[in-house]
Amino acid sequence: MATRKRVNCDELCPEWGCTQPSEYRGVWVVGEVEESEGIINEPSLQMLTPASYIASKLGTEVEGLLVGYDKKLLERAAHEMIYHGASRVRVLLSNKLKPYIAEVYARTISQIIDKHKPEVVFFPATMKGRELAPYVANTLRAGITADCTQFDVDEKTGDVLMIRPPFAAILLAYIKTPTRRPQIGTARPNVFPKPPRDPSRTGEIIWEDEKLYSIPSPRTRLVKVEYMRREEIPIEKAEYIVSGGRGVGTPEGFKLLEELASLLGGVVAGSRKAVDLGLIPHEKQVGQTGKAVKAKLYIAVGISGAAQHVVGIRECGVVVAINKDPDAPIFKHADYGIVGDWREIVTELIKALKDRRQKTS
Amino acid sequence: MALVEQCVPRKQSPGTTLLAAEVYSIDSPRHGVLCMNKPRMIVGIKWVPNTQAVRFDPKTGTLIREGVPSIVNPHDLDAVELALKIRERYGGEIIAITMAPPPAEEGLRHIIGMGVDRAILVSDRAFAGSDTLATSYTLAKAIEKIGKFDIVLFGQETIDSSTAHIPAQVASWLDLPYIYYVESIEEVELEKNKIVVKRKLEDRYEWYEVELPVIIGVAMHSNPPRPISLTSKLRAVTEKPIEVWTNKQLELDPRCIGLKGSPTIVSKVTWQPEIPRKRKIYKGDPREAVKWLIKQLEDERVLP
Repeated sequence: MATRKRVNCDELCPEWGCTQPSEYRGVWVVGEVEESEGIINEPSLQMLTPASYIASKLGTEVEGLLVGYDKKLLERAAHEMIYHGASRVRVLLSNKLKPYIAEVYARTISQIIDKHKPEVVFFPATMKGRELAPYVANTLRAGITADCTQFDVDEKTGDVLMIRPPFAAILLAYIKTPTRRPQIGTARPNVFPKPPRDPSRTGEIIWEDEKLYSIPSPRTRLVKVEYMRREEIPIEKAEYIVSGGRGVGTPEGFKLLEELASLLGGVVAGSRKAVDLGLIPHEKQVGQTGKAVKAKLYIAVGISGAAQHVVGIRECGVVVAINKDPDAPIFKHADYGIVGDWREIVTELIKALKDRRQKTS
Repeated sequence: MALVEQCVPRKQSPGTTLLAAEVYSIDSPRHGVLCMNKPRMIVGIKWVPNTQAVRFDPKTGTLIREGVPSIVNPHDLDAVELALKIRERYGGEIIAITMAPPPAEEGLRHIIGMGVDRAILVSDRAFAGSDTLATSYTLAKAIEKIGKFDIVLFGQETIDSSTAHIPAQVASWLDLPYIYYVESIEEVELEKNKIVVKRKLEDRYEWYEVELPVIIGVAMHSNPPRPISLTSKLRAVTEKPIEVWTNKQLELDPRCIGLKGSPTIVSKVTWQPEIPRKRKIYKGDPREAVKWLIKQLEDERVLP
């Protein structure tokens, strides 16, 4: 599906410069490495799923892009991208990229994209991805669509459809970028599954020539880092989640949820209401303005089930809802629901799980 | 008292005419003076429909936006609060800016009520339909027109679209450094032209020393906003600190703003497909209900 359309340069904002969509080819995923763990992160690999789909529709290939300063780590990350579906990975290695500074990385990535002109660029919407992608898009004067939940191709024009829930998460908006390339999109972690890993897959690793790019000197200096002690798994990685909402109401209520969660070997999360009430920190919020989760078992307690919330549990295996209101929308988004007083039910559930544990051990 | 001596009468200072090399800030207009070495801050505000109040009409299949009140994006209030804290410690001036239709003036009065010195409403039909590229372009040009500034603060994201694009895009247009997820500004050293900020990522805190001017995304829920003071809100009436700028003032190329200046377009809107769920519901005695649930979960093989 070749893009033949021509853009009339006189109609474009002069600040954009003028390029033709036909000059661009290929689908890129910008990968993100976790220096402290020495690996490429899951959300980057997950982006290879929509990238492969779009590339096959456009009749082109998936390429990865990695920039950084740790050669071994980048090489390992490049291989992982290939094992998960990239045909080729471009890597820019430079000491000037140490440490990570958003502005420096964003300007460097922009230059590499501008040189090779991919048609589509995907970023994972991790915290770093969310700060890099808009700067890159703006520097290229390209369109960007954040937090997509699906991607597709408009068969007539060859434009990529960036599909995202606007506003209240009940509807889906199909957003396209007819005149500008690359088309840039992001998706939150866990919105797409990671492609299967196939270590027999081969692909080319291209080490970009540092001299071809002007890596800017930072105007920002990292002066101190303090790692937080992580006693528990972050909600986006948890297999068992007990999630509380306005119905749970109090810190004591959340204590009970924590007891249930620890029996399951899982974590506590919550709705936006729970965050607004100060019952849980924002990083434990599930939903459109929080995180998408992919738990095996998600237990929603006292959560009414607004569209903004349930958009975050689409990738969960089994969803259980406990709510006193039989008409609460959460029951439509649950596999199993219990109508009743959440405190009584959770207390019973804790008892039952303890009994079960004694029986099985 | 040294600070007072550094101040010059405000009327001598239209702002933009000063030499770029001069590091200066304007003190609160209430004091009627222009002072050296006090931070001049700009806070970006978005006037958003209160998404919590949006209802859905199953008959027509549309969102009911009518009667839905608009509010200042709650995450922007954290940015206003952080700016107010800086002003309390270091002095200086805070200017709020928003690009929105005229009713957003109500939101700016709210911000003035929190203690912001003055506000600019960038409003013109020509700006309608802007995506984040066109919005950030217009805001960046308006910020340039304000004159010299030290820190621009935005709420990290908005509750209606939550893209988190604008701070980075404005930084790109203005060619300035930017930092996201900032919880606090630890130090302001205008004489050295830098500040130290602290930000929080998933697993760590980071402290950055940044050159001024800088664009900052203020972390959500990091600076709970103070209540409105009536005296401050009265200023919104008596002193008229809210200016309206249209494209007559900004003189931006029509190809760069509004719909034309937006590379992305919404081509269609459909339903969000639902994930099929079993929707089995139990009503009755809690103990029996839990027994039933455990049985189901065992059959699903999801229990640890």
